[in-house]
Formats: sequence, structure tokens, C-alpha cells
Amino acid sequence: METIKYHTLQETLYCEEMPNGLKVYLLPKKGFSKTYGLFSTRFGSVDTTFIPLNEKEMIKVPDGIAHFLEHKMFEMKDGDASDAFARLGTSTNAFTSSSRTAYLFSTTSHENECIELLLDFVQDIFLTDESIEKEKGIINQEIGMYDDDPDWRCYFGSIQNLYHTHPVKIDIAGTVETVSEINKDILEKCYHTFYHPSNMMLFVVGNIDAKQTMELIRQNQSTKSFEKANEIICQENNEEISIDKKQEILKMDVVMPKLIVSMKINDILKDSKERLKRELSMNILLDLLFAKSSPLYEKWTQEGLINDSFSANFTQERDYSFLQIGGDTLMPQQLEEKVIQLIDDIPSMSFELVDFQRIQKKNIGILISVFNSPESIANLFSRYYFEGTMIFDLIDTINSLTLDDLNEIKHLFDKSLTSSFQVLPKNQEL
Amino acid sequence: MKTLYQMKGYTLHLIPTKKFKTITISLRLQSPLTKEETTLRTLLTFVLISATKQYPSTKALSSHLDENYGAALSTNVTSKGQSQIMNVYTSFVNDIYLPKKESLLENQLQLLNDLFFDPFIEKNGFDETIVNIKKKELKERLQANKDDKFSYSLDKLFEYMGRETALGIASTGYEEDIDKITPQSLYQYLQKCIHEDEKHIYVVGDIDESIVDIFDRILQFPIHKLEYPSVYSFTSNKPEVLEIIEEQDITQSKLNMGYTIDCNFVSDNHYAFTVFNALFGGYSQSRLFKVVREEHSLCYYVSSSYAAFSGIMIVNAGIDGHTYEKTKALIQQQLLDIQNGHISDEEIQIAKIMLQNSLRKTDDEAMSMMTLAYNRDITHKQETNDEYIQKLLNVSKEDIIKVSQQVKLDTIFFLTGKENHGNN
Repeated sequence: METIKYHTLQETLYCEEMPNGLKVYLLPKKGFSKTYGLFSTRFGSVDTTFIPLNEKEMIKVPDGIAHFLEHKMFEMKDGDASDAFARLGTSTNAFTSSSRTAYLFSTTSHENECIELLLDFVQDIFLTDESIEKEKGIINQEIGMYDDDPDWRCYFGSIQNLYHTHPVKIDIAGTVETVSEINKDILEKCYHTFYHPSNMMLFVVGNIDAKQTMELIRQNQSTKSFEKANEIICQENNEEISIDKKQEILKMDVVMPKLIVSMKINDILKDSKERLKRELSMNILLDLLFAKSSPLYEKWTQEGLINDSFSANFTQERDYSFLQIGGDTLMPQQLEEKVIQLIDDIPSMSFELVDFQRIQKKNIGILISVFNSPESIANLFSRYYFEGTMIFDLIDTINSLTLDDLNEIKHLFDKSLTSSFQVLPKNQEL
Repeated sequence: MKTLYQMKGYTLHLIPTKKFKTITISLRLQSPLTKEETTLRTLLTFVLISATKQYPSTKALSSHLDENYGAALSTNVTSKGQSQIMNVYTSFVNDIYLPKKESLLENQLQLLNDLFFDPFIEKNGFDETIVNIKKKELKERLQANKDDKFSYSLDKLFEYMGRETALGIASTGYEEDIDKITPQSLYQYLQKCIHEDEKHIYVVGDIDESIVDIFDRILQFPIHKLEYPSVYSFTSNKPEVLEIIEEQDITQSKLNMGYTIDCNFVSDNHYAFTVFNALFGGYSQSRLFKVVREEHSLCYYVSSSYAAFSGIMIVNAGIDGHTYEKTKALIQQQLLDIQNGHISDEEIQIAKIMLQNSLRKTDDEAMSMMTLAYNRDITHKQETNDEYIQKLLNVSKEDIIKVSQQVKLDTIFFLTGKENHGNN
């Protein structure tokens, strides 16, 4: 077991790789009642075309299958995992994103049982045709719920606009049609390919003793056998450089219009350190331009273009990366023009050192606060882990940034790669 | 260590703990919830944290917060039964995690003081530009809230169920009342809050008694002796269940059911009701979840919640419009089953241990700790978490059946898609 001490944060992380390839990270939190376990696999909605374990041919699976599998994993031979957790007084849940699926529990007692239960229910699969059919009704309701959510539609629509074929444009839950195609055989293929221990990571944080907990996990893993790990081969995405759609307008039964301007970034870095540096630089750059302390935020607020729902976000995962800028606005057309014009201006902008340092301080403070909450630590850890980064390095990296790092990313802003997505009220012409 | 201090114009509660890397301060101001003042109060929470005399714009104030290592400053309004609570919240990094010693605590306290006693004022009113921007922002926020069909339909349920009572008053205000507010009337309302609101301040973090002096030096309010009612049991005189159906162009229909229960936060049967609600629909493996979602695949979410300060229970579910009658009947059937005594010991056992666990978890969340303490403080309830858990564990099956029999369906608000809703 390896021990890593982080002095600034006063945290100690313990880690070990199990013989079957499973990576385990433990973060004991003194004084906490709560223990939070998060078991993640690098399998998300973008993983749609791959060679299944022990097969030779590439297959294409129905959209939304990672999410469907997440729902069905809770079924065990001897009952439902949620019930078993409930008997321990523990709550459990799971979520699927574009790039990963994660299962979790949160408890204040029976920590050992909970950790084993989490490992056991995810490391075994039990499906019946009947229960798969039943799940479709529930998932269709979930899809319907998202269909009515204007924020989600605008957020996701603005990503879909950017990509011609890249699977990041696939709805995480799929559609009613693709969900109907899902069956036991395909689910099992996905499971055996992506839920191999070597593709997974367990993170436990809270009221635990690292030594004992690691031993418990070792014991638990030693009783199970898995097929030999193979490198998972997914189809490479040959996404075009250009964007798919310049503009899209969706009319919904809503009162408040919404706008997101998105921008595709084609220059994808390979090295995880460089990626982290870019992400943190980009966050500072976006704060300098768009946060409440920026001149632009003040100006656009006074002009009635934006309100406090306005935000700018950078995403960088796997082989895709993009920006999203927008929020609720009564003037979507005007705001769209302003944002796109601004993106065009960024490469020639310069920033002041004092502003840069101020935002640097802000970002460090916010990151330190994350370490108050076991849930936030675990979720952030898992998100960065699969990108090859340890979250404990974030603060040092922010500290090491300079104005030059900001100047280096300015060239990524490209007006020709911007797109806009508007949600407008159905019964109103703007 | 003494944790309770009577200060000038407020009560100070210290919750010392070393487990967090930040210090969190929450100032809670209580006043009666009224139709006349709810919009004023909500707008005040927007304007209050926009500027001070020293930092006379959102930009200047935000820059100041950035400089203080991203110190958070926010406000919100909520209702607690018949009261409306304005919460001013700030949190900042504990100095020991910073490269050099900073006086973040004093800075933030000074800022809290300035929000109330040294705001950005012109002609006996708040700055007009800021007020106009915030009026627009509040209006847009209320509109955007309507577009969230879950919260819209829930608000509608409260509105219809609670006509002419505190339950029917929107704690976030009314669009139509925003325009008549002036920078002067809003500033006068701030003065009223300063003089008449009941105030508690909670501090969570690595602190000791020495901060009491700092509070005493920096933050003082006028002393007053007013107290306001909060918790009550909503009663209804509707001759039959009120059923409201609204159509919108949406995919998923939202079912909201409101029940009278004759029980609230300070009743003796509060503990029995808490257990009843948990096993009926309060957590993810409850009756409603098992039957409506897992057995019948009718929904993605279904749950019940116990609003202990208003003394009501709510059930909500997102369903296909065609299954309205079926879902409604299934929910009512589950209630009837419990009323008839069909509860297993295991169900009760699980509900209790789930409640116990979720209560223990609040000890790890600064906000939950403060809210839990505040609920007890404004109702003068003397109870520790351990005592509360003991009372939950003492609840018997008979107690649960008894409280379930007081549950009566009062109002249904059903928001449904245009094509879905045929002949229900």
C-alpha cells in the first residue's frame, strides 16, 4: 500500500493496485461520521463502438446502453442491491456521464459491509429478459423528464451542434427507440468488456482506517476470479474539424428564453499534465472575461443581455473538448452576436497581472473548500482520475500558472468553430 | 466550551469543529410570511449582497471576494411555516490552509456589517441602477422557475391547497409586485428588518470563544423583543378533494398530491410521523418507490415528503399522462394499506435506521448542522441529535398506524401534456 501525504491540504491518500488490476484509493477523514464509496468504470455514453472481450469484430451498441446497464446493475441473484444497502441503513445511487459510470454508497455505520456490498453487486451481473423489459418503462420516463427540461435541452443541444459524428453528441440515456433495442446479450457484452477490474477504480473517503479497509478489499478481491484483462479497443472517432450546425432554435412550452454559444476545440492534448494546465488556465481565462468581477459581466448586465444565470464552462474529456457560454436571456439574438464577436477578439486581448493573481487566489480558495465534503472529493477524484490526473495536484498546478499560460491558449478561440443553441417560448415571436 | 451567546440584537451560536477547511457563518433573519412583504424581502436578498459603500458595484464586491480566496457570499429566502427566513451566508478558507496568514474572518464580518449598516445609498434609497438590475433579475428568475415543471407544479399545489393561508404564499415573491418597489421603499424595508427581525447567527468551523469578542466589536444590531410564530399545522375546510388539472405542451406529466396530517415539528407525534413518511415514500426503497416505480414501471421518480413546519405531507411523481388514474389509485392504496395496519417490522426497522443514518450525516455538512440547530432554536425545542434518534427508535407500529390514519388527501395538482390527457 502506497501512502501519499499532501501537506498543504493536510490529507493523506492511500493507494494500491489489486492483482486483478483494480485500483483502490482510500482517504480517511478525521472527525467525519460519514463514509462515501464510489466505484467507477471508464464506460460512458460515448463508448458505443468497440471490440467485446474475447471477440474480434467491432460492434456498435444501441445509444444509451451504459446508462441502461447502470440501472440494471442493482439487480442481484438474491434481490436488489438498494434493498440490501437499505437494510444497513445506507443510501446508494449511481450515475452515468459521457465518459464514465459510477456507483456509490453513503453511510454512517457498517462501513465494511457497505464496501463489500458495493464491490459485490457491481462485480457480478444478473439479468433477466423480463426485468430488462420492465426497466424500459422507467427509463422512458427518465428520458421524458429530460425532454421537458429546457436547461438540459439547451446544454446538450449546444454540444450536439458541434459534432458531426462523435458519440459525445449522443443523449446519455439514449432515446425511446434506441432503448427499445437493448437486450440481455448486448448488456452482458458491455458488462464483461468495460467492468473488468483493470478498467475500474474504487475510492473510499470518510470514517475509515486505511490499513484495515485495504485488507478488507484485498480479501474481497482475492475470492473472485476474472478473465484475463485485455486492452479495450474502441473505434477511433474520425470527427471532422468543422462544426455540424451553426445555429439551432428549439421552441418549448417555456416563458424564459435561453442561449448557449458553444465552441469546438480540435487541438486535443495527449499529455495529462498539459491537459490539466490547459484546463486550469482556461478556467482562469473564462473567469477573467465572464465572472461577476469582470468588466464584461457588469456591462452586459447593465445592457440587459444577461442575468446571474450567465456562465462560461470548459470541458475536456477523452478526445473531445469544447466551451459553453450563456444562460437565461431576454435578448438571445443580441447576446449571441456579442459572445461570438468576443470570441473573435480574444486572441488579440491582453490581461493584467493583478487580475490574473486575483482569480488565481479565488480558484485556490474554491478548490480547498471542495475538501470539506466527502461526496465532492470522491466525485472530483473520479472525474480527474480517468483523465490521468490526481486532484491533489490541482492546487499546485494553479499556483504554478503564469500569464504566459493564458496567452498560450488564446489561439484556441476560433469564431468559425462557434455555434449557438436557443430555447425560445413556443407562443412568442422574439 | 460555551456555545451560546446573547449579543447585541442577535443570538450567536458557535459550532466548533476541526473537520472543515472553511469557516461558515450564517445570519438568519426571521419575520412573518405575508403576501405584502414576501416580494420585498426576496428582492432585498438580491440587492443586499450587490454592493456596499466601500464596494459600490457587483464588480467591486466580487473582486473583493476573489481577493479573499474566493470567499462565498450568498443569500436566500425560505419559509418556515408562518415565517419567512432571510439567510445571509458566507464561508471562507481557514487561514491555516493558506500560504500566509490572512484575516479573512474579520474581513468577512466587516463585510456582513457593511451590508446592513454601510450599504451603497443615494437619496435615502439603494442605488437605482442596482435596484433596477435586480428587479429584472428577480423577474427573470421567477419566470425561469416556472419553466422547471417539477417546481412549478409543486408551487401550484401549495397555491391551491393553501389559499388565504401562509401555505399559499410564495416565499420567493410575485412577479406582479416587483415593479411597485422603489429604491427608497426597499431601503425602508431594510431598516425594518434591522429593527424588527428576530436574528440568529451560526458559526461552524475551527473556532473558539475568542471570536465572540470579534463579533461584539464588529457586528451589532438594535436590541428588540419581538418573536414570530413559525411552525403550525395546516388545516383545511374543503368539503372534498380539490383536483386541478393544467395542460401544457410537455412530455412527462407531473402529479402532486397534498395531504393534511394534523401533526407538525413540535407535536408529540412528530417522531411517529417522521418514521411513517420515511417508510411510505421518504427514501429510495420506500413503499411508493417499490410499488409505483419498481413493480409497475410507472415513473422514474416518486416520493413523499413531510413539511414539518407547515404540518402537511406531499407526494409527487413524474408519470405518463395516461396513467394518471392508475398512479393516483396506487398511491392511495399504499396509504390505505398502512392505515389498515399492513406494515412489516422489517420495513419499520429499515425506515428507522435510514433516518438515523441521514441524521448522523448532517454532522458532516456545515449547512445542515446550522439548519437543524435553527429549526430547534426558533421553536424552543430542547433536543440533541441523540435524543431525537432515541425518540425515533421508540416509535411503535401502533404509533405509525395511528398517525397514518390522520392523513387525508386535500388537493391534487396535475400538470399534464396536451395529447396525453384524454378522458381522465
